Amino acid sequence: MDPHIESLYDHLDEWIPAGMVDFSHFDFMHPWDIGLISLLAIKHQATVGDGNIVLPRNANLRSYLKRMHFHTFLRELGCAHSAALFDSILISEHENMGLQEILHCRYLDDFSARLAHFERMFKNFGLGEEDAHRALIIVGEFGNNVFDHNLGNWPTNFSGSLIAAQNYPRLKRIEMIVADAGVGFLGSLQNAFPDLQTDIAAIKKGLEGNTGRIGEKRGNGLKTIQQWTIGNFHGVITIHSGSGLVQVDEHGIEEKEVAPIVGTLAQFVIYYE
Amino acid sequence: MNNVMTTLELKKFGRILNSRSFAREAVLRVKQIINGEKDTAEDLVLDFAEVEVVTPSFADEFIRGLRELYPQKEIKMRGTEGNPVLDDVLKIVEEGKTIDSDVID
Repeated sequence: MDPHIESLYDHLDEWIPAGMVDFSHFDFMHPWDIGLISLLAIKHQATVGDGNIVLPRNANLRSYLKRMHFHTFLRELGCAHSAALFDSILISEHENMGLQEILHCRYLDDFSARLAHFERMFKNFGLGEEDAHRALIIVGEFGNNVFDHNLGNWPTNFSGSLIAAQNYPRLKRIEMIVADAGVGFLGSLQNAFPDLQTDIAAIKKGLEGNTGRIGEKRGNGLKTIQQWTIGNFHGVITIHSGSGLVQVDEHGIEEKEVAPIVGTLAQFVIYYE
Repeated sequence: MNNVMTTLELKKFGRILNSRSFAREAVLRVKQIINGEKDTAEDLVLDFAEVEVVTPSFADEFIRGLRELYPQKEIKMRGTEGNPVLDDVLKIVEEGKTIDSDVID
């Protein structure tokens, strides 16, 4: 398991005490961390309330979060007070061009319309034409799944997908997340596979290429993007759905029971030449 | 079977083809495009020239939809030269055994 992600979950109880999402002690954040905090904020929306999201003390990290448009997400969540804390931070949007700000695509058409933008983003990050197309299909399939499996069935008032990415040019590594506050793997697959009992089992079932849509010939999307991420990019797929956390890379599959979220946080990490 | 072909230029549907719902809409559009033609055994050629990206979801739903709509037609594909990712997607869809089609040059 990625040591950063493992450490993040090991200390989760410390930064989500009752009624709060407190990440004041953070000094650095990956897209995964932002996705996880976003889903936790959505999950605890009713109890957290505005003002109970404690932002990082680290000024550089606050600037980074502003550059990531985290304040826009907070406002959307109704946390105007927390969002206003970013108002005094002045940044240039041209700083740190190696990222994709948090995008909230409410509808599939919204998401599909962004694909041309993501293609340009991958090329700007340093991917060649073929790799950019392959990476675009990976994010496309993750995004399609969000809408295919949650349409008409969102468990909260927050629908759609949250997308963010960061390029690390020295490492030639791209991390991209697709998060949604939907029914999760178990909620989606249990219709077709009623014997499924745990989130981890459901994620693994989905990664094998199974679908929860009864009576339809489909599936294989997740299996394909898993094969491409690992086989073509020597990368890593990480999925947190419900209380299950599963990571797959060329060394195999690892799993862990973690604190539950509403919906799914999926990440692919790819390496490029 | 004769050699008459109906050719569909996929670029007219978009440069990036994504999602099952868009594929279902595209199948209905194809039905309109070839409306009036008899459902004979003539070939249906999908020309992917100038299409950059097709997601497996779109490809699966689109090709399977056409197969169900025109079971007598043979579905062939061309215009994938120089686009190895597109080739891979079409192979994946074929290997998924949700369609039964040939690839032509």
